[in-house]
Parts: sequence; structure tokens; C-alpha cells
Amino acid sequence: MPRQTYNIAMVSDFFFPQPGGIESHIYQLSSKLIDRGHKVIIITHAYDDRKGVRYLTNGLKVYHVPFLVMYRQATFPTVFSFFPIFRNICIRERIEIVHGHASLSNFCHEAILHGRAMGLRTVFTDHSLFGFADAASILTNKLLKFTLSDVDHSICVSHTCKENTVLRASLDPLMVSVIPNAVVAENFRPRDYKDSPNGSGVFGPDTSPNRLGPTDIITIVVISRLFYNKGTDLLTAVIPRILENHPYTRFIIAGSGPKAIDLEQMIETNVLQDQVEMLGPIRHEDVRDVMVRGHIYLHPSLTEAFGTVIVEAASCGLYVVCTQVGGIPEVLPSHMTTFAKPEEDDLVAATGKAITAMRSGRIRTEKFHDQVKKMYSWSNVAMRTERVYDGVTGKISEEEFYGFDTGGYTGSRIRNFALVDRLKRYYGCGIWAGKLFCLCIIVDYLFFLFLEWWQPRESIDICPDWPRKVPPEEKRHSSTSRGRNTS
Amino acid sequence: MLSPTDDDESETPFPTLDDQPTFSSLLSPDDAFAPPLSRGYGGDSAAESTHSRLRRVNDRGGSRRRKRAWKKLMWVKQSYPDNYTDQATFLENLQRNPRLKPYDFWPLVADSTVILQHVCSVIIFVVCFACIHRERVSPVSVVSWSSAGTFVGWLMWERWVTEEDQVEELNTSISTLVGRSGSLSRRRTRAASIRRPTPLRTEASLSIAAPSAPPSRPPSNEGSAASSATNLITGSKSPRLSPRSSTTAPSLISRPSHESLKMETPPFIIKDVNRTHERLGTIKSAVLIYCTLLGLSPILKSLTQSTSLDSIWAMSFWLLFVNIFSFDYSGGVSTKFPASLSTNAALMASTVLASRLPDTRQVFSLTLFSIEVFGLFPVFRRHIKHRSFQHHVCLTVVLVLGAGLGVGLVAGKLPKDQPWPWKRGVVGMIISIIIATLATGGCSWWLIGLQKYKNEIRGPWDPARPIIMSRQRWDEGA
Repeated sequence: MPRQTYNIAMVSDFFFPQPGGIESHIYQLSSKLIDRGHKVIIITHAYDDRKGVRYLTNGLKVYHVPFLVMYRQATFPTVFSFFPIFRNICIRERIEIVHGHASLSNFCHEAILHGRAMGLRTVFTDHSLFGFADAASILTNKLLKFTLSDVDHSICVSHTCKENTVLRASLDPLMVSVIPNAVVAENFRPRDYKDSPNGSGVFGPDTSPNRLGPTDIITIVVISRLFYNKGTDLLTAVIPRILENHPYTRFIIAGSGPKAIDLEQMIETNVLQDQVEMLGPIRHEDVRDVMVRGHIYLHPSLTEAFGTVIVEAASCGLYVVCTQVGGIPEVLPSHMTTFAKPEEDDLVAATGKAITAMRSGRIRTEKFHDQVKKMYSWSNVAMRTERVYDGVTGKISEEEFYGFDTGGYTGSRIRNFALVDRLKRYYGCGIWAGKLFCLCIIVDYLFFLFLEWWQPRESIDICPDWPRKVPPEEKRHSSTSRGRNTS
Repeated sequence: MLSPTDDDESETPFPTLDDQPTFSSLLSPDDAFAPPLSRGYGGDSAAESTHSRLRRVNDRGGSRRRKRAWKKLMWVKQSYPDNYTDQATFLENLQRNPRLKPYDFWPLVADSTVILQHVCSVIIFVVCFACIHRERVSPVSVVSWSSAGTFVGWLMWERWVTEEDQVEELNTSISTLVGRSGSLSRRRTRAASIRRPTPLRTEASLSIAAPSAPPSRPPSNEGSAASSATNLITGSKSPRLSPRSSTTAPSLISRPSHESLKMETPPFIIKDVNRTHERLGTIKSAVLIYCTLLGLSPILKSLTQSTSLDSIWAMSFWLLFVNIFSFDYSGGVSTKFPASLSTNAALMASTVLASRLPDTRQVFSLTLFSIEVFGLFPVFRRHIKHRSFQHHVCLTVVLVLGAGLGVGLVAGKLPKDQPWPWKRGVVGMIISIIIATLATGGCSWWLIGLQKYKNEIRGPWDPARPIIMSRQRWDEGA
């Protein structure tokens, strides 16, 4: 069975040049999918003077669509106005799968809606957790329910995120996959890391761990935006207590935000200028250089869908102390982390335990990098995402993709494109919302028909593709794996 | 076809498998990636591993192979597809209505009387305006009656505060003996005294001039830091208002005030001297405000002459509406600043209404009356509720009856033969009682009935609430 390759459009409001977790996720995933022989384009809105088509490394094409940006780089939600240009791009690039990212991105929702109207397969990736109580969340959740009613498959970055998304959008849990984020391990190497001669660091000759004496300085690194939900208040409260209990400790804090002033006040009140260093905002490239200056990474966040930064810290060979919130407990094995409840006392105790353990040499941080490298890699993420694509396009049979244990649900999980069936799915969204959504879908469909008449498909140029890459493992395994999997 | 997660590394059986939910103790880190033969397993697990391998070979005909228990972890490679949903653990941390406190009927009704009182006082204010506007009542009589009431209320308030202060003083002295907590509270009061500006230089000089006094009391508890420049205004408008309950009147009129910061309050002010002095200050500022208002009345009178009457009615209606809806009903006795939006809206409404009156005397009376009703009366009501529930209920009944009577007297056209249609007033009182009962009872019953629709979802995705011991203010902020 030859591996199928797809033309994929990643759609999100959030992309480079803006830095951030979603942005790098999209970039890395696209890049690895291209490596696996797919064609990937990215559609985002225009950033300042960055308009039109740009190319990134690896032949990744980015469409910067001029659009009104409303708030924090999210575009203005007009339900239909994105359709003409989106249709044009999809036809030009012969897109088969539309993959939207981030639930606060208007482009993503519109693209999924219009993609379904055009008869494309759609996938949605959720990167964040939302509550159910406040007004903004309620609105976002309703919107999410709207677009995800008809999506072919969703991807979440952690199991907690999956539970959250399933609840928010009333999805079938089997139609939600969990595919974690990853790190580029090469960019997060420990300070004196050298590749072991035999290739795997785990079984290499045991380099003697440099034991820390009782008066050696242990440095604790904190890198986070200094916002309330990142737990900066907790951090402000614990730093003086930790420094009081463990005098031979230093803090390095990187990042900026509205809570920075509280930290500075704390430093001045307690006269800790020589023990706490505040670096201010740093660029993502410099994160590794800051991390390798420390021994312990402290992550006091109050909510986190995945927590890529703690993986990065572990990859740099830091022992991680973090709060047990959101998806964080799923991310790292217990020998790399100490968990604390989001309480001042518990966090102080956990950090104290970590410092003691570091001093006693019980933690083999020098092995962390190789272990993390094997746990999280973008090529693995791309491979797992590809399976989702296979599933939604029908390459993998429905039984295999969704399993035989369908949990009592007898209907098909393949979303067909018949308008009536689509309307049925939207109708169930709520007493009023369902009817409103149906109206939107009908208008959207009429709009689609209008566009087909106004800008016929034949009049849109097809753009030439880059030559596709052949994934290395396919070259290697092409004979063996094909022989093995003749089921 | 092999599923992507299903690589060879994951075929290694886990050394220990029990159904404990805590994941930290179950898996060794190497399970994520270690090659199968590199680790020595116990005999059992080794046998199991060969067994499972055999089975896997045998079962390759298409039936599902035996699976290991699924873990809610991401760093370990599992032989399950990514969209696998574990029936046992999926949404196990979901909580519904975790902090639901069911309401009881009668406490709810009792609490709703606070709203009733406020609505009634607003109605009474409107009725008084209507009477003044139609020239059925002399404005002077309204303001004299209300000022007399305010004065009586002030006297009562004074007595209560003195009593409370004595109790507080007793507690403080006890806690000072106890030690740390005492010092804490002292620090708090000191901070409070620093923050609060003192209105009168004389007081400051007095406190300096009295060093010979015995250090009988701990530094100013709330009363001594008392009369602030802002209070001066409200206090003078009506003597009832004490320093503690400085309302939002300052937003109405801004006056020059001597904001000399009080230094570290010396602990040797004799209480009685202080108290008398405070009373004098209050009376003095009351007189001052009285005069200011008198001077401002002619200006207020012509304020909205160019605006049509309809606009005025609509505007004042909406302002009073805002007042009722943004009023701070939950505030206790210690509330220093009642909801400022609410009070400002009410005072603006009264200003707008007063500006339609033809006579300076009427304007003055209505403005003063509105300050008493909206600025000072809520403070008094809070204290009554704090002191005794019976009095609170009595006040509620009186207010409801008064509002009903007022509406009955004012509503409709005035009969020619008699100036005061008392019969209508009685009917109004009866109706008002019925409406009040139905409203409080019905709304409480309705609210309890609505509780069954409450569906609050909580889970691990919610932002955690940090518990921080050393600082109090985060609790308020969050």
C-alpha cells in the first residue's frame, strides 16, 4: 500500500513573525510534513508590511492575507468575508485538507467552515484550555461548537486538553486525537553536551556527575511571561521563602509582563538584588542560553495545556519543579520533575526537596537530554498527524481508524459533504444557535455557488508545486514494511 | 498497516502493571524508549513478555492484540491509537457544581428586604419631588423633617459607634497582650491612620499638644483617624454621617481641603476629647456644606433650562434605575465607600430633577434631601441591620408603608374638594404591602426554583487558584 501524500493548508491567525508556541508548532509541523512528502502551505493574516506570498525554509509557502486585525493579532470575525480569497488559494494550491489551529483564531474557524462548504477535509488543532464560567469563554465555546460540529477530526495537545475540547464543543471523543507538542532537541542541549560516540547517550560511559557541595550555588531559572495565569503571584511569594531556607541559591527570571513590577517590589523589599536576577524579555533563541545557566527550572503556572517550556528545560538538563495543573502532569516522567500543588507552602516545600536532591546528587540531569529527545520529536508528531489525515481522507478504513469499540454509536464517523447532513449536524447545536448556524451554513453555501459562477474554477491558475521530498525512512523501509503490513 | 505510535520500542511490556491511578510510581522512565532486552526483568514479567510476544505472533490474523493498560501520559509511547479514549479515566476529574450551596427560603426573603428598603427610599424620594414640584408640600417642611430625622439618626449612630468602640478597645487591649496578633493589628491601624488625611489642623495640634495624657489606648482605631476632608462635606450636610461612613458626596462638589497627613498617631489621645472634637468638627462641616449648597442653589436652578422636560424625566428615570441596580446591597457596616456609581447616579438624578424647580429654596431643599436619602440613609440602614434584625424589619415595613402611602397620595389627579386624598393613601399602603410580599417571596421562590438549572463544570483545565499565605491582597484581587 503506497503512502499517500496530501496537499495541506494550515490556517491560523497566529504565525511568524509573531513569536509563540502555536506559531512554532505550525512551522515545525509543516516543515516535518514537507519532509514526509506532503505539500503544505500556511494561510495567515498580514503582519505589518508582510503581505502576500512568502517562502520559508524547506519550501514552505505562507500566504499573508490582508485582513483587519482586531485584538492580540486575531482578525475581525466576519463569517463570510474570508471565503473568496480562501477559495482562490485552495483551488490554486489544489488543497485537499484544511488544518486550522488555535480556537481563538478567526481564520481557523472560517477556513474550517468554508473548507467544508467546498468539500474539503478539515482538521482542527486546539492548543489551549478554556474554562466554562466567564462570558468570553462561553462565547468562544459556542463558536467552537459551531465550527467543530462538522469538522472531520480534532487534535489536542494533551489529554486534559482533549477532555476540555470534547466538553466545550460536544465532540465525539473518538474523533479527537491527542498529539503532543515537541521540541527541537538540537536547540536545547545542555551546556557541556557532547554526542556520545556510540550514538545513544543512555548506555554510553557513565560520566561522573559533578556533585554539588553544600555551599555551591544552585541556580533556579524561571522563564515565563509575567502574567497572573502564569503564576507570577505565586512566584513572588515563594522566592523570599526559598532564599531564606536555602541561602546558597540564586534565581534567574526571564520574561516580561504586568506582574514584573510585583517581582521587582519583592526584590527591593527583601533586599535580594544579589540573589535574584531579572533579565527582562528574552528572545526564543536565547532561552537555551539562559536555561543552561541553572540547575532547576521552576514553573509556577496556574493553567497550561501542554507546557512546552518544561520539556525544553528538561532537554537542557534542568530538573523541573512545576505546579500540577492542566496537562503538565502528563508531560514529563517523575524522575525529571517534582510536582507541587499551586499553593505557596507546597511550592516552597517542593523546591526545597528539589534543591536537596540536587545537592545529594540523586538526580542524573545529564541523561535528561537524550531521554527527552526520544520522547518528543517533531517528526513523530508529523507521523501521527499524518495518520489523522489518512483517517479523515478514508485512506485508513473507518473501523481501523476509530476502532471496533464504537461505544454504542452506530452511525458513520465519516463526515459526508451532503448539505442536508451538514445541516443536521449544525442543527443540534442549540435551540436558537442551531437554527442560526443552519442559516449561516445555507448562506455560506449560496455564497459558494455564487463564487463558483463569479470566479469559475477554470479561470484560476494552478500554481506549480515544488518537487516532493521522499521521506528517508520510506526509502529505507519501503521493502520491509510493505512486506510486513499486508493486512 | 502499523499505526504510527506502535513502534518496536513500545512493545516492551511494562515491568509493573497495577491499576493504581497514580502514574508517578508506575512507570520507570526508560519505558519510553529503552530497548526490550537491555533491562533485567523479574521472572514473571519476562515470562509475560515472551508470552505476549507469542500471542502477538499468533494473533496477527486480524483480531486485536492484547493491550496493556492505557496511561494518561504523553511521554510514554503507547500501543494505542492517538484517538483512543479510555472509558475508565476519561473525564474522571470532572466536577459538577462543586461548591453549590442551596438557598433556604426565609433567609433569602430576609436578605431581599435590603433591596426592598432601597427601592422604597427611592420611591419616597420621587414622591417628595413630585409633591414639591406640584407645590403641594412646602420644600422647607420636607427638608426640616428629614434634617430632624437625620439629626436623630446621627445621635443614635454616635451612641452605637461609641459602644462598639468600647468593645473594640477592649478586644484590642486583650490582643495587644497576646502579642503578635496585637502588633499586627496595630500595624494595620497605623497604616490606616497614615493613609487617612485629617481635616482639621486643630486636631493635629491637639494631639501633639497632649503628650502628657496617659497612653491609655492603642493608636487610633478607626474612630480617631476619623474625620477626613472628604467626610467634612458629607458630615456637614448632615450631622448623622460620621467619619467612618464617608459617602461619595465628594464627587458632587469638590472643595479645598487641608489634607495634612496625620503623622504617626500618638497613642495618648484621650478618647473623650477626641470624640467631642470630632462631633464639633462634624457640626462645623455640616454648617459649611449647608452654606455652600445654599450658594450653589441659584446656579443649579438654571442648569437645565434649555433641556426639554421629557428628556429630564427620561434621564432621571435612567439614573435612578442605575442607582437601584448598582447599589451595594451586600455592604456591611464597615463599608467605607458605598458603590460610587450608584450614589453618583442618584445625586445626579436629584440635581437634574432639582434644576427643574422654579424656586431657589425648592432646589436647595431637594438637593439636601437627596444627599440625606442617598448618601446618609443607606449608612443608617446598614447599622440598623447590623444592630438588630427586628428594627431592620420594622424599618422595612415603615418604608414600604411610606412608599405606598406616598404613591397613593401623589398618583392620579388631585380631587378638587380635598388636598390630601387619605383614602387613596390607605389603598396605596395596602397595595404596596401586597406587592412587597409578592415580590420578595416570589422572587426568592423563583431563585430557588432556578437552582436546578445550575450546571457548573470544573476540571483540571480551569486555572488553579493559588493559595498564598503571606499576602492578603491577592485574595481580593483574584
